[in-house]
Amino acid sequence: MHERLSFHIKRDSFIHNLNPLTKLVLTLTLILIAFTFPWYWTPHLLVLVAIIPLSLLGKVFREFSVTALRLILPAAGFLFLMQAFFQPVGSDVIFKFYFLDVTQESLMFAFRNAMRVFVMVSAFTLFLVTTHPSELMSDLTRRGLPGQFSYVIISTLQILPQIIAKSQTIIAAQRSRGLDTESSFFKRAGSLIPLVGPLVFGSLMEVEERAIAIEARGFTSKQTKTSLHEIPDPSFDQMLRWVLVALIILSIALNLWLS
Amino acid sequence: MNIEIKDLRFTYPTGLEAVSGISLTLEAGEQVAIVGQNGAGKTTLVRHFNGLLQPTSGSVKIGDWDTKKTSVAKLASRVGYVFQNPDEQLFSRDVLTEVTFGPRNLGYSKEKTDGLVERALALTELSDKTETNPYDLSPTWRKMVALASIIAMDTPIVIFDEPTTGQDAVNVARIANVIAELQKEGKTVITITHDIDFCAENFERVVALSKGQVLLDGPAREILGQEEILAQTYVEPPQLTRLGKRLRLKETVRNQEEFLNAIARRA
Repeated sequence: MHERLSFHIKRDSFIHNLNPLTKLVLTLTLILIAFTFPWYWTPHLLVLVAIIPLSLLGKVFREFSVTALRLILPAAGFLFLMQAFFQPVGSDVIFKFYFLDVTQESLMFAFRNAMRVFVMVSAFTLFLVTTHPSELMSDLTRRGLPGQFSYVIISTLQILPQIIAKSQTIIAAQRSRGLDTESSFFKRAGSLIPLVGPLVFGSLMEVEERAIAIEARGFTSKQTKTSLHEIPDPSFDQMLRWVLVALIILSIALNLWLS
Repeated sequence: MNIEIKDLRFTYPTGLEAVSGISLTLEAGEQVAIVGQNGAGKTTLVRHFNGLLQPTSGSVKIGDWDTKKTSVAKLASRVGYVFQNPDEQLFSRDVLTEVTFGPRNLGYSKEKTDGLVERALALTELSDKTETNPYDLSPTWRKMVALASIIAMDTPIVIFDEPTTGQDAVNVARIANVIAELQKEGKTVITITHDIDFCAENFERVVALSKGQVLLDGPAREILGQEEILAQTYVEPPQLTRLGKRLRLKETVRNQEEFLNAIARRA
């Protein structure tokens, strides 16, 4: 009933009001710098001086940190452990675990990579939370992105929350028919079939219906399309984008030069 | 089996209070229509009857079971719930398996299950379609499969969530017939509907909700006559009721038969 079409949270903030392309470039800048800037503490510092302040500036710090704690930290933590154990670098062994050596170097290496992934995922989370997908896509389409491409992106962004909402209704419907979803593991594993069937069928039918609906509105028409909703792109945004692009180039250049 | 709702309140996690203090008793064997504008809290209310939603405060009792202390799977043996969209509940390869799913979950014996399934299929006129894949049927027939799959569970209480939406006249008549048969068997039927003609023709008691509260509750004849109050929840009395009013008939009429009788008496 209360379907969320995307991760987007509607707020009025400086970040929300930036042009969508600016936000996309900002996200890519954060990720690329985290991965290429040749200084060990770059990703860690980015979290402190960029990602957290940006989430505060965007008035989404609370939602953002909940997502980060629940979603990103476990994944980054897992990556950290795997790399700490299995990265065969360095000789300064801190402790042994059977045949696995954990060295100071592997620990440092793992820490940085985990932080890089953290920056990547959290920057994107921040982007998705502060940008309405349709706004992003209409802006990109206006700049010449093919409609098919933006459709693929936008439906991807929208489909997950829709599937979640849909699966909740299906679970409710099957529980109403006496399906036990709360007891033993085996009973629950068996009860997956009645849930997956309608979900897959329903999603496929929705895709088809949506395709027909957009075609009925002239999706593949070759005419220049107008937009009801103009997305502002002030000169501040344009300038900011160039600065960010310059930062990316600088970071990559430093990386190449020093390696 | 009675349904007792005591000062029920429900707030969604988003902070929206959908039900704000409803107390109702629905007697065994009653045919109740629940009407009201979108967002009046109809679906939220009935989802408490089989435990899909838990009261924020207040209580709902189905017979002697408190829904707070009973699992949905267990409540399913007393309350059947037909969802609005059949595609959200159908998954089997053929109609027969689909309809057998519910009674089998409730742990009925093989003989009892077979009997119930056969009766449900006959009632919904699906007996000749048992081998068909539900997704090869038209949406109207899929709706009937969804109905059959709940009726076969033989619950003393059956809930229909907007059964007539998107159905043609023939199928609406079929659904009305199913409800009449359930009534003969002494079952409680609760129906959410926006189809006020359907409501007038098939239900004895009407509950009108507005903004999470009961606006009107009583015999259909009385409720459907109260045009001004019903307007508060954007419900319009049936055409014949309104025509009867314009013609200044003494009593409130609900269907063709009553209307014609009233006219005949006056002539």
